Amino acid sequence: MSNPFDDPDEGSSGMLLLRDDAEILEGFLCPICKADLKTPERLTAHVEQQHSEEQDLLKSLREMFSFAKKKILNLDETASELARNLDSSLGQGEVAVRNPRLERYATETNKLIIRLDKLLDGLPSDPDARKRHEQSKVPWIDGKLVKLCPSCAKGFGLTRRQHHCRVCGSVMCDGCSFHLSFDEARSIVQPEMSSKDRDSSGFRVCEHCLHLLMNRKEMQDSRSDRPPVTKLYEKLLQEKREITPDIPMYEKIIGSLYEGDAIYRLSDASALREKIGRAAERIDNISKAILALPFPQGSREESLKKSIRLSCIAYIKEQMLSTPPLPAEDEIKKIQARKKQETARRIERERRLALEAYERYELQSESYATNGSSSSSTASTAEMTNGRFYPAPATGTDQWSGFQTATVNVSASADPLIDQINIVKGYIRQAREAMRFEEVETLERNLSELTQEFYERQRRNAQEGGGPVRN
Amino acid sequence: MNVIRAVQLYLEKMISEAGPGMKMLMMDRETTSIVSMAFAQSEMLQKEVYLFERIDSGRSNERLKYLKCIVFIRPTRDNILRLQSELKSPKYGSYYINFSNIIPRTDIKSLAESDESESVREVKEVYADYLPVNPNLFSLNIPMCLQALSWSPDALERSVQGIISMLLSFKLRPAIRYKGSSSVAQTLAKKIHETINKETALFSFRPPEDGSPPPLLLILDRRDDPITPLLNQWTYQAMVHELLTINKQRVDLSGVQGVPKDLKEIVLSSEQDEFYAGNLYANFGEIATTIKVMMDEFQKKAHDQKKIESINDMKNFVETYPQFKKMSGTVTKHLVLISELSLQVGKQQLFEISELEQEIACRADHSTQLQRVKKLVSDEKINLHNALRLILLYSMRYERHANCGTSGLLKALQDRGGRAHIVPKMLEYISTSARQELFNTVKITDAVKLTRNLIKGLKGVENVYTQHNCVLKEVLEEVIKGRPLDAAYPIMGNELPFRRPPQEVVVFVVGGTTYEEALAVHRYNQEGCKVILGGTTIHNSDSFIEEIVAATAGIPFKHSRSLQQFHSAPHGEA
Repeated sequence: MSNPFDDPDEGSSGMLLLRDDAEILEGFLCPICKADLKTPERLTAHVEQQHSEEQDLLKSLREMFSFAKKKILNLDETASELARNLDSSLGQGEVAVRNPRLERYATETNKLIIRLDKLLDGLPSDPDARKRHEQSKVPWIDGKLVKLCPSCAKGFGLTRRQHHCRVCGSVMCDGCSFHLSFDEARSIVQPEMSSKDRDSSGFRVCEHCLHLLMNRKEMQDSRSDRPPVTKLYEKLLQEKREITPDIPMYEKIIGSLYEGDAIYRLSDASALREKIGRAAERIDNISKAILALPFPQGSREESLKKSIRLSCIAYIKEQMLSTPPLPAEDEIKKIQARKKQETARRIERERRLALEAYERYELQSESYATNGSSSSSTASTAEMTNGRFYPAPATGTDQWSGFQTATVNVSASADPLIDQINIVKGYIRQAREAMRFEEVETLERNLSELTQEFYERQRRNAQEGGGPVRN
Repeated sequence: MNVIRAVQLYLEKMISEAGPGMKMLMMDRETTSIVSMAFAQSEMLQKEVYLFERIDSGRSNERLKYLKCIVFIRPTRDNILRLQSELKSPKYGSYYINFSNIIPRTDIKSLAESDESESVREVKEVYADYLPVNPNLFSLNIPMCLQALSWSPDALERSVQGIISMLLSFKLRPAIRYKGSSSVAQTLAKKIHETINKETALFSFRPPEDGSPPPLLLILDRRDDPITPLLNQWTYQAMVHELLTINKQRVDLSGVQGVPKDLKEIVLSSEQDEFYAGNLYANFGEIATTIKVMMDEFQKKAHDQKKIESINDMKNFVETYPQFKKMSGTVTKHLVLISELSLQVGKQQLFEISELEQEIACRADHSTQLQRVKKLVSDEKINLHNALRLILLYSMRYERHANCGTSGLLKALQDRGGRAHIVPKMLEYISTSARQELFNTVKITDAVKLTRNLIKGLKGVENVYTQHNCVLKEVLEEVIKGRPLDAAYPIMGNELPFRRPPQEVVVFVVGGTTYEEALAVHRYNQEGCKVILGGTTIHNSDSFIEEIVAATAGIPFKHSRSLQQFHSAPHGEA
């Protein structure tokens, strides 16, 4: 064998070695003892230790790996050149600062809410009783200790009375206190219950507590609040998501139709086009519905809905309606007919060749005719193969229908291959009805592989049948 | 290395990280321009970004909690404060914050403290802190960067930030060379060097493979090449900028007669307009031919559109109409532009002027040139701006000439009401090295250069309107051929100079670059080099003269004492 790879003195050791028995070895092989070392580093080390006398080999090995490495890294670089704009995420630092702070707020807010709950529980309507109830739940700061209002720093007196925050018990003046209605208080404590209370009065609270409580309320609200525009928008997204894979699929089908392939039919394309069209209509309608939502004139929501509508129009125009029109049926037929003719010609040629070959067999078998009677049956199988099973598998399903009945009747219907073919065909029908065209494609390929296999086998059978005759 | 693509990638990433759903983009004044250079609004709509808001102006108090808010702002003090107050009472459901540059840790901390309602989902640095103009050209949009011929502090800071973000977005840790004789170039180089050394964590990219030289950042000074921005250019983009002014991809045509209403302001984006992208660097003659071809094609299509007889025709019409409409928009836009350009070329007699400009820039022939300048300056048909440009070129070239006729020319200009006071300012503006090198007034010691100039002279001129070569082109040639640069362009820091040419080059021109230089860079890139050009701004002759006026305000006159009578501006003009 004159294989340059297995000559260690050449120094071109490496990835692929052919041994004398022609078994192909792959991997990082040592050119001397042919052991697979798995990695270039280990190979280099191995050669260094075991075959230290082969200095030039070691050198060439190193050179080769550094070259390959360079090559790979280079490729890597060109591929990632545009993706090189990685940015450093600072999120971690932000979270680290934010979390302890948020936790502190959260515990404080929770404490306030628990107190609020207690305050609301069994609240008497009589002002005096209520005051007692409030004081019993939250200890009030002694007013005598506070000379000035903590927020506005003005002294208390006859005109500026002291007031207590009902939630934390601190003291402030009237101007610095705020009002939390019972309604709001209840909705903070129990977000899911929104009872309409006739009582319009509420608690007096300080700014700090109000801020914390309202913050909490807002977070709850924004979590549960779902205005109609978001619902419509989600529908819109859903529609878009569903239709997105269909558009390139449609283009693919059209392309394959113009190629004259028989994987897809014209009806597939038109069904898909219709589906896209219907989806476009639905998207159009949803965006119109969004546009029709009543928003105040000149508000940002109004410009939002206009933008959504605009983007939908652009999407429909550019993505959905710009799809190529359906090819005319007769055009496709012409293409297919041409292709069919081509295949027919090929089949004809093959058949002729096969016939010639068969005739040669015939001559041979005639000369041996006395030796065995099996030849006639072989011949008939061969003829059958030539005559019926020759159609090229890619010509499409039309021929196959004829073939199928023939095989079922004539040859062994117990052949698992035929069963398989029938099953696959059933699947294709189902997939087509459900418009899962990707599946149709893979199944069609499967089918053509199966038929190819079937045909090959038939031919082999025929030849094997003829074979023994010769011997 | 494509700066537009880099910014687009950043934005795409920013948007995709916010996930599906309705989004709005909050920007500041500068990032608004950055975004608009990379994407058209319609493209942003397709990415589900429906609302745009400026953090620094025109805020409304509407709360739209169901929107995701993508914040893309520069990390300035003001912006941080504004963002803090926004986060204290958030108007939107969640925030994805992106800073266009390196942000100090302390600012992150203060932001985190304001985020009481846990609405911040992400904080990031994306290094898109420059305006991408062409794939190989960026600008920082600083129209006046010098005060009394040294850096104005704000402009210096912005330039450092812009270049740093540019380097980060391409993961370059360059060797820095600067024009040795220019103090502004040196200052900038030093600042950038310091920043890179300070942010070692960010700049710790994989070093180039063994032996290959690091990328190069080359900092030049406009004062060393004041000629290039003054010359008339004949490539499409440069012409549009010179005659109509491109401001952040927009051309204002409201002053042009007979322009349809919807074309009062047009957008020239090499990303969205194929015709423009293909003809940025085409010269005026070529472009006329190209637009003719496009016209013919369009007319054929238009003709097809007209004959609608059968239902089939109608169907075809409906299906091809959007493309037709798009094409008609492009055709009209460029037709309007080109017809306006050729109108101006004829009206201003630009061919004649350009020829003389190039003569002055490239050849010494004092008496003939003086005669021609005199003739043109006193010609009523030549407008004052062009007359001023000719005198500027002449005065720079023959400043030291025994029979220098600058003052005579200036008188003639003043008599016509021109701005003669610009000329002494220009003579103060140009640097010593420009004086010495630009016109070879110094005894030529550099033998190589001398022979090269001789050869150039012998070869003759291919095109009289494009003979001039900008300084940048010559320097780049040295760089790309790997010639030693150490004397005139020292290296910053104690890095060892590499003799072999660098693989990536970023050139930055303090004082603004030009589209002529972009063309030079484009040519090198076509030969397989990787060069990006940037500048504090992109000049045409108008904006360059404004920059000179601003840069020389209040400095004493040293070089132009002989022109004392023209020093002060006439009343009513600064």
